[in-house]
Amino acid sequence: MRLWVGFGGLLLVMNAFAAEGQPTIDWLKTVVFAGHQTDYSGVFIYQYDSHVETSRITHVVESDSEYERLESLDGPKREIIRHHGQVWCYINHKMVQVDSQQGGSRFPSLLPGQLSALSGNYLVKEAGLERVAGYNTQVIIFQPKDSLRYTHKIWAHTDTGLLLKTAVLGDKNQVVEQYTFTQLKIGGDVDRAWIASSKGTGVSSKPTGAVSRNNPDVSKAGTPINSGWVVDALPAGFKKTMEVHRPMRGKHAPVTQLVFSDGLSAISVFIEPSDADEDDVEGLSSRGAVNLYRKVVDGHLLTVLGEVPSRTVMQVLDSVRYNGKP
Amino acid sequence: MKHKISVLMDGELFEDEAEVLFDQIKRDSSTHLDWATYHLIGDVLRQPDSIHRDISARVRERMLNEPTVLVPRSRALKQRVRTVALSAAASLLAVGVVAWMSLQISPEAAPQMAMQQAALRPASLQIQPKSNDYLMAHQEFSPSTDLNGGASYIRTVSYSLEEKPQ
Repeated sequence: MRLWVGFGGLLLVMNAFAAEGQPTIDWLKTVVFAGHQTDYSGVFIYQYDSHVETSRITHVVESDSEYERLESLDGPKREIIRHHGQVWCYINHKMVQVDSQQGGSRFPSLLPGQLSALSGNYLVKEAGLERVAGYNTQVIIFQPKDSLRYTHKIWAHTDTGLLLKTAVLGDKNQVVEQYTFTQLKIGGDVDRAWIASSKGTGVSSKPTGAVSRNNPDVSKAGTPINSGWVVDALPAGFKKTMEVHRPMRGKHAPVTQLVFSDGLSAISVFIEPSDADEDDVEGLSSRGAVNLYRKVVDGHLLTVLGEVPSRTVMQVLDSVRYNGKP
Repeated sequence: MKHKISVLMDGELFEDEAEVLFDQIKRDSSTHLDWATYHLIGDVLRQPDSIHRDISARVRERMLNEPTVLVPRSRALKQRVRTVALSAAASLLAVGVVAWMSLQISPEAAPQMAMQQAALRPASLQIQPKSNDYLMAHQEFSPSTDLNGGASYIRTVSYSLEEKPQ
C-alpha cells in the first residue's frame, strides 16, 4: 500500500511535468515504473499473423522483490515463473529450462541515456485516450525516423501507468504483433498462493530433471566478456548493453551473445562454432515482431534476432566481424 | 512471374504456390508493382466511377529516404558555383562527398543483395521451436520485457499446431 501512496505522488509529479517538456518520454518512465511496482493479475491475448493465443499473467511485489507467473490458457500447458532475475520455464508441468539474468532484479531498468536516444530515433507523440479492458488509457506512438525499426504503439492506464495494450506496426502500419489485456485486476487481492511453491522450487538450489541432465551449467549466468566480435552496420542509436559467454542447451561450447538496444527494441547477436549438421538452419524466420536470421560465416554459426524488421537483422548479420586477436 | 500473378488474381493458383508468390510480392518491390498494376488494370476494365490510386504513402517514404543524400551534395554545388578560385577546395570536398555517399550506400546495398538470396528460399518461415532458447536468451535483455513485463515471454514458448513444442 505504501508503494501506492509513493507512486501516486510520482504520478502527480509526472503530470506536472507533462504540461511542458517531454511528456511522452515521462510517460514511458511511468510505464516502466508501474510495470515493476504494481500488483496485477489478468488475461491477455497475444497475436501475430493468424496466430492468436490467450494467457494469464500474475505479477506480485513482495518486500521489493518481484514474482511473476505467466500461464498459457490454450494449447499445450506452458508456464513461466520469473523471480529476482531468474526464469523458470515449464511445459506440461515439466521444467525444461532455467535462466539467469545479469545482476538480479533490475529496477527501474530503462536508463536515462536510452530514453534520450529514443527521441533521437523515434517521433514520440500522444495519440488521444482510448478504453482497453474497461480502463481508460493514454495512447502513445513511437514512430521510427528510419525504416530499420518498427513503429511501437502503447496504451497506458491513465491512473497507474500499467500497459494494457501494445502493438508493433510495420512499414504500411499493418499490425506485426499485438498484446491486449481483455481482463485485468490492478492491486488489491491478487492470488499469492503460488509464490510459496515457487520459492520451494529453489532460487538458490540447482534445478533437477531434464535441464541438469543435458547441461548442468545452464542455470549459471553468462560471464561478461570482451569477445572481440563487432558489428559495423548497426542502425543509429543502437548501443551495446551486454556481451556475455553463455552456456546453452545442447551446445558443447559456450555461445557468445552481444545485445544492442535503442531503448525500445533489442538486437541479439549469437556467435558459436558451426556444427556440420546445422547447415539446414540458415536463413530468415520470424515470430511476431521478432525476426531471426542465421548464417554460417567462416566456420561460425551467426544468429541475429530482435524486434526489428527482417532487413535490419540481415544488415546486422552481414556486418558482423571478428576484430580481436587472430 | 507476371503470368503467375495473373493466375493468382483469377484464383486459380494452388495454395502453396500462392503462399510463395505472396511472399515474393511482399519482398520484391518490382513484383509488388506488377501486382498493384494488375489490380489497377482490373479496376479500369470494370469501369468504376472513380479509380483509387493512393501514392501519397510511397511519395512520403521516398522523401524520407532522400534528404540525407541531397543535403551535402547541394552544399558542394553551391561551393563550386560561388568562385573559381575555390574550385580546388570544392573538388576536395566533392571527393569527400563521394566517399561519404559510398559509405551511405554500402550498408544499403548489402541487405538488398541478401534480400535477393533470401527470396530464393521457400521463405516466410516461422521460427522453429528448437530456436526458442535463443529467444529466451534475447528476451532477458530486451526493453520489451521492461515495457510489457513478462507478457513478452509468451513469445519464447509460442507454439504452432504443425510443430510440437520441445
